[in-house]
Order: sequence, then C-alpha cells, then structure tokens
Amino acid sequence: MGILALIVVNSAQLVMPKMTGQLTDMIAEGTFTRAELGRFCLFLVGLAVVIAVFRYLWRINIMGAARKMEYTLRNMFFEHLQSLSTEFFNRNKTGDLMAHATNDIHAIRMAFGPGIVSAVDAVFLTTATIYMMARTISLKLTLVALLPLPFMVGVGVGFGRLIHRRFRRVQEAFGLLTDRAQENFSGIRVIKGFAREKREEERFREVNELNVERNMALVRVHALFHPLIGYCASLAMVIILGYGGSLVLNGAITLGDFVAFYSYLGMLIWPVMAISWVINMIQRGKASMDRLDAIFTQRSEIVDPPESALDKLQGRIELRSLTFAYPSSTEPVLKGISAEILPGQVVGILGRTGSGKTTLLNLLLRLYDAERGMIFFDGVDIHDISLEVLRTNIGYVPQDSFLFSTTVRENIDFAATGSSLERVMEYAKLAEVYHNIVEFPDQFDTIVGERGVTLSGGQKQRIALARALIKEPQILLLDDSFSAVDTETEEAILQNLRRVFPGKTVLIVSHRISTIKNAHQILVLEEGMVTQRGTHEELVAQPGLYQELYHKQLLEEQIESVS
Amino acid sequence: MKKLQYMQEEQTLGKAYDSALMRRLLKYAKPYWVWILCCIFLLLVVAAIDLATPYVIKVAIDDHILAANRAYVVMEGSTEHPALVTIQGYGLLREDRLEDLPGGPRLELVKAEGKHFLQSADGDFVLELSPEELRELRRYEVSAILRLGLFLLVLLTVGFVLNYGQVYLLQYTGQRIIFDIRQDLFSHIQRLALRFFDGQPVGRLVTRVTNDIENLNEMYTGVLVNLFKDVFMVLGIIIVMFRLDTRLAFTSLSVLPVIVVMTAIFRTKARAAYRETRVRLARINANFAETISGMRVVQIFRQERRKFKEFEEINRDHYRASMRELMVYAVFRPAINMMDLLAKVLLFWVGGSLLLSRSIEFGVVYAFVSYMEMMFRPINDLTEKFNIMQASMASAERIFLIKDEEPAIKEPENPVPLGEVMGRIEFKNVWFAYVGEEWVLRDVSFTVEPGQTVAFVGATGAGKTTIMNLLTRFYDIQKGQILIDGKDIRTLRKEELRRSIGLVMQDVFLFSGTIAENIRLWNPEITREQIEEVARYVNAHHFIEKLPRKYDEPVTERGSTLSAGQRQLIAFARTLAYDPAILILDEATANIDTETEQLIQDALPKLLKGRTSLVVAHRLSTIQDADQIIVLHKGKIREMGTHQELLAQKGLYYNLFLLQYKEDFSAPEGARQVSS
Repeated sequence: MGILALIVVNSAQLVMPKMTGQLTDMIAEGTFTRAELGRFCLFLVGLAVVIAVFRYLWRINIMGAARKMEYTLRNMFFEHLQSLSTEFFNRNKTGDLMAHATNDIHAIRMAFGPGIVSAVDAVFLTTATIYMMARTISLKLTLVALLPLPFMVGVGVGFGRLIHRRFRRVQEAFGLLTDRAQENFSGIRVIKGFAREKREEERFREVNELNVERNMALVRVHALFHPLIGYCASLAMVIILGYGGSLVLNGAITLGDFVAFYSYLGMLIWPVMAISWVINMIQRGKASMDRLDAIFTQRSEIVDPPESALDKLQGRIELRSLTFAYPSSTEPVLKGISAEILPGQVVGILGRTGSGKTTLLNLLLRLYDAERGMIFFDGVDIHDISLEVLRTNIGYVPQDSFLFSTTVRENIDFAATGSSLERVMEYAKLAEVYHNIVEFPDQFDTIVGERGVTLSGGQKQRIALARALIKEPQILLLDDSFSAVDTETEEAILQNLRRVFPGKTVLIVSHRISTIKNAHQILVLEEGMVTQRGTHEELVAQPGLYQELYHKQLLEEQIESVS
Repeated sequence: MKKLQYMQEEQTLGKAYDSALMRRLLKYAKPYWVWILCCIFLLLVVAAIDLATPYVIKVAIDDHILAANRAYVVMEGSTEHPALVTIQGYGLLREDRLEDLPGGPRLELVKAEGKHFLQSADGDFVLELSPEELRELRRYEVSAILRLGLFLLVLLTVGFVLNYGQVYLLQYTGQRIIFDIRQDLFSHIQRLALRFFDGQPVGRLVTRVTNDIENLNEMYTGVLVNLFKDVFMVLGIIIVMFRLDTRLAFTSLSVLPVIVVMTAIFRTKARAAYRETRVRLARINANFAETISGMRVVQIFRQERRKFKEFEEINRDHYRASMRELMVYAVFRPAINMMDLLAKVLLFWVGGSLLLSRSIEFGVVYAFVSYMEMMFRPINDLTEKFNIMQASMASAERIFLIKDEEPAIKEPENPVPLGEVMGRIEFKNVWFAYVGEEWVLRDVSFTVEPGQTVAFVGATGAGKTTIMNLLTRFYDIQKGQILIDGKDIRTLRKEELRRSIGLVMQDVFLFSGTIAENIRLWNPEITREQIEEVARYVNAHHFIEKLPRKYDEPVTERGSTLSAGQRQLIAFARTLAYDPAILILDEATANIDTETEQLIQDALPKLLKGRTSLVVAHRLSTIQDADQIIVLHKGKIREMGTHQELLAQKGLYYNLFLLQYKEDFSAPEGARQVSS
C-alpha cells in the first residue's frame, strides 16, 4: 500500500515541471491570461496537497511497517533466548547478545524501511524522469544532458567504497584512542608509581595524531564526494543552458520545455546519490539478518520429556556413579559420585573451590544435562521428570544471589506465588533479613539494585534465601549461601529452617564446618570425587581434609576473639 | 554504569549557549584564527558564486532566449555592430540594441502556417525566413548563450575548487583544535591524584577524552564557521531579491516567517519525540541485559512467561514512542514541503500577474523561484545548528568539570633535592583516613634502616597496603610525618620520590606492548642488555625465552595469556630494571603454580638484597627472613621484632604463625595465604 502511495507521489511530482513548462510557453507566446494563471495556480495547489497527503501515507505505511517488524523481531529474539540453556549463555557474552538485539535489529529495520523506500523511489524516479525528459521534450537534449550521468554513478559507487574504507580506518583509530586512554586510566597506579606520566603523554600524543591523520584522509575524499556530484549536475545544467538554449532559439524546443527540463534534471540528482547509500544499507541488513538467524536456529540441549513420570517430588535423591564433564571441556568435573539422600535429610557438602560442588547442584536442577542412569528422584531418572515439576519442587539459593532491580517484595516473591505481604514478611523473618528490610526507606517496597538501594552481600544472600523458601519446595539446595553471613546469623537461620521445614530434604554446600556440623550426613568433595562421608563426629576423628579444615577454622575463631 | 551515563545525557539537554563555556572553548580556537578567517573568506566567495548562478541564468533567459522574440530593425548598409545579422541582404539589429544608431523599418517576428516571417506592423515589409535564415537570425543569441554557459562553467569550477579548499581547511582546523583539547585534558588527568581515580569508573573518564571531545568537533566545524555562511546567504539572497524586484521580494519574504515557525516547531517536537524514544530504548536494553545476566534464576524459578510479558510491555512502549516520533516526521516533513510548494505557487501567482501587466520579465520570476529554493536550506541548517550546540555545550560542561579538578597531591613550592638515596624510612605518629575520620592507620611509628627488609603482617584491612600507598605519596597523611633519609616526603618532588621507590603489587598490571617494553616501560635509557640481565637475575629469562617471540612477544589483554606467577616475575624484572633504592612489595601467592613458585622464592632474596624493602608478606619464608616483622591489626602496630622474638612472645604473631605453619605442612601444592 505504501509503495503505491510512493508511486502516486512521484508521478505527481513529475507532472509539475511539465505544467510549469506549458505555462512558460504560454507566457512566451503571449497566450497567457489571468484565467490561465489562475487555473494553473489552483491546479498546483491541488497537486501540492495531494503530494503531501500521499507522502504522509507512505511514511506511515512503510516506515510504520518497518518499526512494527522491529518490535516483533525483538519480542521473538527475547522469547527464543529464554528457551536456551545455561551452556549457551556461558558461550555467548551478554555484551555480544546485546549487540545483536540492538545493532542488528536496527540494521534490519533500516534496510526494510528507508532502504526499500529509497530503492523504489530512486529506480522509479530515475526511469520516469528520464522518460519524461526524452519523450515529452527532446531525446537529443536528454542524451546530451545525461552525459555526465554515468560518470556521476561511477563516482558515487567508487567513492562510496573508498569512503567506507577510510571511515573504517577512522573508527579503528578511534578505537585505539579509546584503548590507550582506557589502559592508561586503569594502570594509573603503575604509571604514577614509576613516574611515567610524561612518557604516557607522548604515547597518547601518537594516537592522537593518528586520529587526526585518518580523519583528514577521510575528509580528503569525503569533502570531494557530494560537491563532485553537485558539480557534475551543474555541468549538466550548463550543457542545458548552452545546447538547450540554442535549441530553443532555433525553435526545436519551446522555452517552456527548457524550463521544465531544468526542473527534471534537478529531480534526478537525489536518486543518483542515493544509489550507493541504498546498496550499502541493504547489504548491512542482510548481514544482520544472517547473524540473527544463526541464533534463532540454536536449540537448547535440555529436552523436556513428553510426559512427566512424577507430579511431585518427595525428596529422595540418588546419585549413581555420577560422572560429568562440561560440554566445552574434556576433563570431567565430577567423577563417579554415588550417594543416597533420604527425604527429610540434611546433607552437607564440603569442598574447596573447583571441587565440583556447584556443578553437582546445577545437575540436580538440570541446568546441564548429565547422562541417563545417574541422577534419580524418588527412584525416577531425572530425564523422565518434566522441568516444570523438577524446578517447582526444588528451591535453589545460588552462590551469586542475583536479584532483579525491582522491589524487595517482588524479589522475594519472584516465584509469583501471589503471596500476601504478611507471608512475604514471614519468610523474610525466616531468612533473618526482616529487621534489615524494615529499616529501608520504603521497607518492602524499596527498589533494589542500580536504580535503588545497594544491598550488602549478606543481605542479598538472605533475600535470595527467602526467595527460594517462599516456594515451599520439597528439596532445598543451598550453594554457599552463608558465605557473607556471620556465624551467629547463620546459626539462627539454620534453626529456623529446622523448625519450619522438618520434613524437607536440604543440601547445604559450604566450606565452613560450622554450617554443616549438624547435618545427617556430610560428603567431602575433592576434585570431583567423594573422598569422605559420614557424620561430623565420625569425620573429625578421621585424618583428612575435614579434620584439617576443622582445626583451621577453630584457630580462626580464636584469633578473632583475641583481637 | 552505561545507563547512568545515558540518563545524564538525557537530563542535561539544556542550554544551547553558555557564555562562560563558550569563552573557554573559543580560547582553544584562538591559535588558529588566521585559518578560520581564511575559511570564512573562502566560504563567502563560494556563497557569492552560488548567489550569482541564478542571476546568470536570468540574464540568459531574459536577454537572449525570450528577447529573441523582440522586434528587429533594418539598419543602414554600412553599420557595424557585433550583433548585426545579415539576411537576404538586409542588415538587421535587434530593437533593444539600437541605442543611438539610426534605424529603418521595424520588423516583428511572426509565425504563421508553420513558417516564420519578419514583417512590419503595417504589413508592407515582409521577409519570409527559411529555417537556415532563422538560425542565422539567432546566431548572436546562440553564441551569447554559449558564452554565458562557458562563463558559468568557469564560475562553477572556481566555486568547486574553492569550496573543496574551504572544507579541507575547516576540517583540518577543527581536527587540530580537537587534538589540542584532547592532549590537554589527558595531560591534566595524568597529573591528578589517585583519589580522583578512586571515585570514578574508568569508562566514564575514557568517554570524556573520546566521545565528549568528538562532540565538540561538530561545533567547531559545523557551527562556528558555517554560521557565517548561512547568515551571509540569507542576507545576500534578500539583497539580490530586492535589487531585482521589490514586489516579488516582498512576496517571497512574506512566506518566510511561516516556514521558519513551522520548521522550529518541527524541530522541537522531533527532538522531544527522539528523546522519548531513546529513553525507552535504554529501558529495553537494561531489561534485556538484566534478564540475560539472571537467565539462570529466571529458568530455575520458571518465570520465563512473566519475564517475557514484562519485556513485551517495555518493547511495546518503545514501539508506541517510535510511532509517535514517526508521526511527527510523517506530518511535518510533507507539510513543510507543501508550504514550500505553496510559496512557489504564490510566487507564480504574483509573478504571473506582473508578467501579464508586462511590468516584469520572465527571467526575473524564474530567478526568484531559484533564490527562494536556495533560501530554505540555510534556514533549515540554522535550526540544526541549535541541536549541535546543545550537545556540544553538554559535553563541554563535562569536560571542563575535569579540567577544573586540582591535583590533590601538590608539588612542594621549593622542593628539596633527594640526591643519592640511602633508604632510611621513618614513620612518625602517622594517622591516616581515606575518608573523613575513619582512621585506617592510628599513630603508626616505625623506622627502617637502609638495606633492611621489613615484613608487614596482619589481617585484611589492617592497614598494610595503605602504608605502601602513603610512602609513595599516592595519598597524603592527615597527621604525623613520613621521612626518607630524614627528609619529609612532602618536601620532595613527586617524580624524584617515586623514582626512588620500586613498586611490585599483588595484581601486576601489564601494558599492551612487548614483554621487553613492559619491563622497561618504554624508557629509552634502559638498554636491551639491561633488560635481559635483569630478567635473568629474577629467573624470568627462562620462560621468556620459551615464548615464540621471546622478549618481543606481545602482551595481550593485560597479560592474561601469562600465568600469575610469570606476571610476578616480570614485575620483579621491571622493578629491578629501575633499580630503586627502596622497594615496596605486595606479595601475591594465590594461583601460582609450583614451578614458578620456586622461581619466585629463589628470586625474592635477590630482589630484596641491598635495598630497603617493605614487604606485605604472605610467604612464610619471606617473613622468617625479614630483619623486622611488624604485626598490624586494625590500623595499629601490635607487635614488632624478629621472627624468633615474636614467637617467644606467644601473642598474635604466634597464633598466625601456627595457622600458616599448619597450612604449609599439609598443603599439597604451593604456599597459601595467611588466612585473612
């Protein structure tokens, strides 16, 4: 529809010079009357209005469609990303994905909106104008006047590429400038420490000069481009003046035709200049489309079973020789782990960084896929349980306690249980974070994060805990959730948990003995293998990592109390 | 961080002109005033040529093309005149060229039945003209037109060349001004104290030096000089219009206010709409980024649907804003174009009426149309310049904010020369706080004799690193004194002070360059031999030799291709290359593989030998071998003495030692940090 409007506009525009031409002839021949003038002006006014209206139409239609497409694409992209696995997000940096979402989608819109418009416009206008010039006025004059045309196109294309190349180099230099500044400011300590400021200024001067050079190289070409095309157009005009003028004098064409011709030539300039610009835009649009396509064809490796073998989890977990390596590496992170956890048990997992603790929890949540026959819930293989059931029944407090920049209440009730404020407060109390929240400016309605209040590490962890608890999950996974919390508070929270969730299975990962002292069983993880297991009393008596850490932590407490 | 910046940009869209800022900006342009003047001159010449073009065409039309239908006069036989044409034996001259020359019958050109005749008013004298004769009649006009065409060609070419010259010169001037500002700002930042850097994200500073200054370029090139051209053009056109015909001039100008107002309204609305869209786009990005970062949490809590709805709403909000923006353009652009057209119609109407009453020539009308078109562009540009000014002012403000920062650590007025550094360090009753009265060091006093190694021990936050910062005067103390060789460090020149102190930090910062350059930090006084010698001494040579390009191996990404241990060794080499009398070492022990650990432990004593060394120690071996151990806790010195002395005390050090000792004994690989 929009394209139709475009054509109407262009046709209308083409009519104008012809009319002006006719009028001029009438003037020249003296057949000009007031009535004619009146009719002419009226007609032009009408034409102007028509042009304006249709211009409006094509803008709304075509550009509007392009923007709608942008909106839709963005939605699709977001939705698709949500379906992809953790592995994908490990492989692709947030920054890159953002670039896709913004730059690529934008390039596609530019190609479809302004790109198509310009292309159609340019082609139609050029052919129609030339046709008008040749047929209704003079073929000979047209040919002569258009002599500079191929040259103009050639200039446009050739220059276009050259300019693009030089522009790239300017961007490069600017990037170097940014890098140099970035490095300097990051390493300012070393620079000051070694008194290298002067030398740094010299190095900066170098990049600074480079930028000037590259910019001037671009200017040399760029400053030539438009004026050169303008000059070619002017040349054409001069030709028309000379040759056309003489044609008029010799009666071959009328003055009116002469005047009209001038206008037509003026109308040709824009399409010619637009050609290279359009080609460029469409190319970029295509490249972006390809990039987006690559992401759209990605699929998550984690597949839901067609039907879930279980509706609920009771809380019995079994690991049979669990061995797992991340898709991107060959070294297994977990090697042959076997364990049986009964419903309602509290199990502590102890280990150093890199021993595989978090990986284990990730596998239980099926954020990564282990092989069949390794992980069982209530006797059923994890692959046969739907993700919905699995994740609804397991509560997880991750190590990094990621919170969204929304209110405290919404963060705690992230699982959207529709809880009342009282319930939210209840769980805040359980997580021993209630007394902190009530001191915030808006209490539970306080916004957290970049745009709001910055929380301490411990506060974040406790809110993340409340978030997991409010779901009342059958199984609770705590990944080092007390690292930023002091021992007293930690003890209080654990007591709360024992009181309120007596029948729930809890897995606590920690490197602090004090946290897991009272667990029903403790697994010691070292380099992906369970090296010790038992109760606290049993393990303290055995020589090994557990004993070591125990003593070390005792000493730490002693030092704390001394000072 | 990015978002905050965004918001700042959105909010400071205020004044387009601030005279104080403008004055400072113009100061940078002063050195180039000659070039700027040249640019303005060239611009004016080009503008004049642009103005002349329609006039030339007017002349061609009026004096030659249209005038060709004028009457001709038969001349006496022997009359000489360049425009005289001879047809069928008669000498004919166009009526308006007669001047004082005597002429005969007056003949008018008439077209009838496809043939051309020259006949007198009473019909007595009739000449039928063949096509060739008609052409002969027009011969002079044709040549005149060709001459005009040539003239125009020359004019245009000159204009083209001058224009190119002007653009080049202007851009060059702009680039040089920007260069100056950039260099100036960078140097200024170099001189600022560390405290300034602590308070800013590096990214923000980088933006100032890069993007903000780039914005200024627009102002210098786009606005400053072109302003003259635009004003000149508009004035010039108005003048020419009035000289050609006052009635049409008034007609043209009457439309002007309307169009100016429309354009101004359009620009304001467009800017507002654009801002709205930008803000919403920022929201989309923020939501996107956040959701991607927290995708794991979203998936675990099965909140994909809800998050999508959230996003969809923000997306839709943006869509609506962008449609509103589109609407503004869709309505105004055609409307303004229509106004242009209507203005032309008005011109035709008035001009046409004047033509009918024969009080004006066609060429004049035609010229007016051209001039009116010419006028719209500068007016459009003027409103565009307003936008540029706003952006530039905002950037300028931010830049000058930094320029106005004073370096916090001041050079002394009369610096005491340091001379040959012995290396005796004294801290006398030093109190220090980074902020207000939150004391990090309380009444710290100690003395280190030249050549001694002192190990600082204590929990994190005890103040060890702070002592290092103070010695190099990265920060100034509030109470007390720090002396080197008996001279207060505040009386020494910063450069001399820092040259005499070598710094090895925990996190080694490597620059993007080669290994060799990282060792000598681009100091030409340090030779290649010295680099290798030093590297060999600290056991770094071996692994450097194994690299593909050895000492010329480029360091990438702040050295992430090298292991932590290797980076420490390079830092050692770097320090040794500068051979300072005083050494500050913040031991890094985490993430160092066994092999390199051995190398480091071997190199350390070599590094410490013969230098006054202050070490924040983590290795047992380092501590044990120190001449003095200072135990810090919560900013105070608790214990001081040698390893044996302190063990005997069975105090803080004793406990810490037990901890460390136990760990060392049972650790499978490497040394580990004293628990903090």
